[in-house]
Amino acid sequence: MYQSLLTRRYLTSRVMPLLAALAVMLCTAMVLIVWSVMSGFLASLLASGRTMMGDAAVTWPVSGIPHYEDLMSRLEAEPEIATTTPTIETLALVGLPDGEPRIWRLIGVDGESYDRVTAYRDTIWWKPIDRPLPKDRERLDPRLTIGGEYLAHALTLTEPDPATGAPRPAVVPGLWATGYNQRAPGGVAIPRFRFMPDEEVTISVLPISQRGAAIDVKARRFPIANEFQTGLYEVDANTALIRLDAVQEMLGMDAAERVTGFDPFSVDGAGDRFVEPEPAGVDPARVTTVMVRAAEGFTPEEARAAAQRAYAGFAAAHGPGVPDPSFVRIYTWQERDGVRTFIAAVKKEIALTVTLFGFISLTAVFLVFAIFWSMVSDKVKDIGILRALGASRPGVAWLFLRYGAVVGLVGSALGGAAAWVIVTNINPIHDWLGAALGITVWDPSIYYFPEIPSRVDPAAAALVLAGGVAFSVVGALAPAIKAARLDPVRALRYE
Amino acid sequence: MVHETPILEARDLRKTYRLGRARVPVLRGADLAVARGEFVAVLGASGSGKSTLLHLLGGLDRPDGADADSGVFFEGQNLARFSESALNAYRRRSVGFVFQFYHLLPELTVLENVMLGAMVGRGRLGYLRERAAVRAGASELLDALGIGRLSHRRPRALSGGERQRAAIARALVNHPPVLLADEPTGNLDRATGAVILDSLAEVRDRLGQTIVMVTHDPAIADRADRAVEIVDGVVRRHAGVI
Repeated sequence: MYQSLLTRRYLTSRVMPLLAALAVMLCTAMVLIVWSVMSGFLASLLASGRTMMGDAAVTWPVSGIPHYEDLMSRLEAEPEIATTTPTIETLALVGLPDGEPRIWRLIGVDGESYDRVTAYRDTIWWKPIDRPLPKDRERLDPRLTIGGEYLAHALTLTEPDPATGAPRPAVVPGLWATGYNQRAPGGVAIPRFRFMPDEEVTISVLPISQRGAAIDVKARRFPIANEFQTGLYEVDANTALIRLDAVQEMLGMDAAERVTGFDPFSVDGAGDRFVEPEPAGVDPARVTTVMVRAAEGFTPEEARAAAQRAYAGFAAAHGPGVPDPSFVRIYTWQERDGVRTFIAAVKKEIALTVTLFGFISLTAVFLVFAIFWSMVSDKVKDIGILRALGASRPGVAWLFLRYGAVVGLVGSALGGAAAWVIVTNINPIHDWLGAALGITVWDPSIYYFPEIPSRVDPAAAALVLAGGVAFSVVGALAPAIKAARLDPVRALRYE
Repeated sequence: MVHETPILEARDLRKTYRLGRARVPVLRGADLAVARGEFVAVLGASGSGKSTLLHLLGGLDRPDGADADSGVFFEGQNLARFSESALNAYRRRSVGFVFQFYHLLPELTVLENVMLGAMVGRGRLGYLRERAAVRAGASELLDALGIGRLSHRRPRALSGGERQRAAIARALVNHPPVLLADEPTGNLDRATGAVILDSLAEVRDRLGQTIVMVTHDPAIADRADRAVEIVDGVVRRHAGVI
């Protein structure tokens, strides 16, 4: 019982334990901030990736999957799958309005179904907003004044033809893909020189034969309907969406009549007309990927398993006319080329960074040890008195261990609070550092996201805080043993 | 008042300290029998082993080579046979220490210093159950020693005499049958020392406490029932005993 009273009094009447608590606070705050930013980075990465890709996909690149409408019906019949959308992905050479060339990853999508599978609608940037962003005090955001037609155009990926008013296929690039937007303070994107939704670009694609040979470059001008922002800088700076039928046509993946008996040197009996080929049916339109959104309560892995089942039935029904189920790629969005490796690398980097900072935090153990060692030397007489009053050696050891635990608890609590304040205000702090000292740590072109992401995982925070207490107790262990082993007579005579 | 059976007895008590490489024998077969309720003064020159004797009697230290017939005996039981925890309990319940330099904990109030003696050895639940009684007992002791009004002050705000009375209250809070006082007036002026001695005498009279007091001052030893002297590591009857 005396340990409780003395811990309280020692803690509030001396500077030394507060220094020890400060050491624990700094270490726990440092680990928590690093962990939160790294976890936030991973969480943002995962969220953004899923936003663009849905939960799972069935892919057969280059030649694509014919009869994909049937595949989609079969997929949507599976209880684990909520909905699907067809897409085509290819690289495109883009000529911007001022002639500057860019290379984009071009994704042909059906706006309506693509929105059902992904969070496309949420990523569309140019849509009316009711109130300015919190830091847009000067109301610079053009979205405060634009009409709702930009949103409608983005959802259908069309723009009305200026001459006829008929809808024509349009492109929706990422917000940073053209270089015509700049970020103003407060997260507002301000168009400079041009407002892209009023512009046109030239898109050139290279159709590839089933054998992988380039066929012919197809180029066409498209209006820009809108721009999107997933938050993943890499995507927003290099990707554009285009209407599916337009890119199907350019790549030769649209439905086409199949003929037989075509001979360019064959003429009819009179010798004055070429022999017309015989129609032999229609080659169906193709897409390279069917994206899948898992039904409520099902994981991407379960959706993938359902897609494998559905594709097996699809392949059995269509025979050799569709890609063999053994070769077609069916994967969750995390298993996509590059994504899995990148996520694994980020996870390993988080583990490595947290471990390294954890080791650095071991300095707290040595600080607590040094401070407690000094305190035990300072409290030799008190220890002698306690032993004279009948306190046991374990009781004296417990006094200092408990004291260490309380110092750790106070330090961890303060560290947790400090980390919380810093993590929740990390971007304003970063902005301030940039403005006041010219220090820019977070470059979005390197770190993928325009702002520093952060996410406080309660379990991780609890682990770090508990670690702070444990480190403090470990630091107090040797001084506690020293205190317990003190000879009471020598302690009472100590000057 | 004096009982015939010794409550505390030292038989052939020996203790040697190491001083660097040298071995310094302090007690060389000291014998002392203290009867229940007796007030015994132990005189001796500085370094004669008075405090060592007191520490051995109080179980703070163990004598050299104690066996069945030698060592410290409390109510007939040889402390040498006590386990570590039994010895802790002995210090907690059977003896109370008063030191020359008071040894109050500076972070605690006077009342908390007194109650500390009752807290040691009690678990949280046990203490909480008896807290009110402990507090009342501690306050009563402080009142009896004339410093009840100072119970919420820190030791640094007290005079030497007040501190020593607080230390006496702490030693008595568990009602030990034996009080061991090591030069309790050694750090006080004569008048204040006299007040402390009056307090000790009053405690003995009121509670029937057995007191063993170490002092180097024969005039102070005169206040005891009996005085002994340590000379050359053994206890002798002091010539000037009342």
